Amino acid sequence: MTDVAANASPLLSLRGIGKNYGPVVAVRDVDLDIHTGEVVAICGDNGAGKSSLIKVMSGAEEPTSGTMQMRGKDVHFASPHDALEHGVATIYQDLALAPRLSIAQNVFMGSELTRPFVLPFLRLLDKAKMIEESRRYLSKLSVAIQDMTRPVERLSGGQRQAVAISRALRWNADIIIMDEPTAALGVKETALVLDLIRTLKAGGHTVILISHNMRDVVALADRVVIMGAGRKFVDRPIDGLTADDLTHLIMSGNARAA
Amino acid sequence: MSVTTVQSPQNRRAILSEIVGHYGTAIAGLVLIAFFVTFAPNFATPVNIVNVIKDTSFLAILAIGFTLAFTVAELDLSIAEMASLAAVVAGWLVQSQYPPLAAVAAALAVGAALGAINGYGVTRLRVPSLIMTLGTAAVAKGLAFMITQGVAFVGRWPVGFTGLARGTTFGLPNLVLWLAGVSLFAYGLVKWTRTGAHMVATGEADEAARLAGIATARMKRIGMLLSGVCAGITAVLLAANLSSAAPNMAGDYLLYAIAAVLLGMTMFEPGKPNIGGTLFAAIVLKVLGNGLVLMGAPYYVQDIVLGIIIIGSVAFSASAMKKAAFKV
Repeated sequence: MTDVAANASPLLSLRGIGKNYGPVVAVRDVDLDIHTGEVVAICGDNGAGKSSLIKVMSGAEEPTSGTMQMRGKDVHFASPHDALEHGVATIYQDLALAPRLSIAQNVFMGSELTRPFVLPFLRLLDKAKMIEESRRYLSKLSVAIQDMTRPVERLSGGQRQAVAISRALRWNADIIIMDEPTAALGVKETALVLDLIRTLKAGGHTVILISHNMRDVVALADRVVIMGAGRKFVDRPIDGLTADDLTHLIMSGNARAA
Repeated sequence: MSVTTVQSPQNRRAILSEIVGHYGTAIAGLVLIAFFVTFAPNFATPVNIVNVIKDTSFLAILAIGFTLAFTVAELDLSIAEMASLAAVVAGWLVQSQYPPLAAVAAALAVGAALGAINGYGVTRLRVPSLIMTLGTAAVAKGLAFMITQGVAFVGRWPVGFTGLARGTTFGLPNLVLWLAGVSLFAYGLVKWTRTGAHMVATGEADEAARLAGIATARMKRIGMLLSGVCAGITAVLLAANLSSAAPNMAGDYLLYAIAAVLLGMTMFEPGKPNIGGTLFAAIVLKVLGNGLVLMGAPYYVQDIVLGIIIIGSVAFSASAMKKAAFKV
């Protein structure tokens, strides 16, 4: 994180966030500030609470306690759609794509472009524009796919990530949350996804990255947040940390939690 | 650098496989129609062709309703009984000398109401559509028997009502115009409107659609409501064509409608419910049924063939989906 980012008011601010599932406490009293243009990695072992925290930030779950602010204003995300409307888009591990639909249909899913037809109130899908715009979003990410009508199931894992990111860009998302973006990908595809995230960062987007892969975290993140037993116990710039250091921090967090 | 594209044998095979995958069953259907035109006695006579077209219209409109419900990944097994009940209600009103318009409105309202109840049950009460629509079908069947007391409404009904099915407009049979209207509406809705795109996304990937902000429950309710409306339209046309309305009068159309939708899913957009496929499949099924009768096949052969088509279509669609998924 740069000094400028540290001093500026946060884009997204969480205070005292807690999330319980019945008697199980998944997240306890987490404060977190996300600044414009930074890549923040959230790490931790299984059951550390990172997924639950992400669900709260993405609107998939409502917090049991605590408050959230977006650009200094209180926000309440009752659904992923609410979060999207406030500029927070989440790319889930399974990418939440419709495999048999085309690239363009996936990029514009839920926010299709229309044009008037005969009568002013009668609007039809503007398929040509959606295809053109999808191509533009993908080329922004330096992904060269010509045929935007190709079903997503015929794309490689990295290309599918690019489609999911394009959808987030389509929503003009200020913050893109990526849940384990390189899980289950081969070496080549992982490199493509890491490049995509770098491209996003270079374009001024804010990225929250959840990853088990410490090498990815070190390669991409400006800041790392480490969680254990539902608490945040590390929040620091990545400067100088190695993948081994991060693993050690996570393990020590686990030991503390135990 | 100039690039020359050479059609390799692999490319040609891929193109051929694409053509067969998309149009194979449609071409087979055309061959079947040509076969009956050539060999079935009296098949190609004007009277028989009109009969086939009429019968196709009832089936296709009902099957288009099923297709719309299937587009949002829900089954509507109540279409035939909904149509029977709606026909009985319309018949009762016509018989009681209410204006034809009132009978039509009542039939459509019955279809829409039952479709809405199906949608409510599936989305709010979380009853799987298979169970929900079986239940609705039983209720509709019971109500139809209750209204008629098991006896069909028959009479000299006003032309204003019967003409809806038997009449012509600009020289074209009204039934064909109804079918064209319903098909165009359904096709336009699914292919060209935002609501249609949301229905398709809901059917293809419910959770992904929900996360993209689509009101998936609403889309499911729309799909099932439209299925009910199509049943209502079929009911009006069946009653108007026969000048009678009997409980379970549309019962035989259920399996045919399911077969039309499933066979339709093997063509044009393999593996996906699609209006064009349903329409063409309905024609093929009715031609097949008619042709077999004309060639002297016993009545039960039709049921056997129908069953084979249903199983074969699903197997074909599953294989098409599998192939597409691995074509990376």
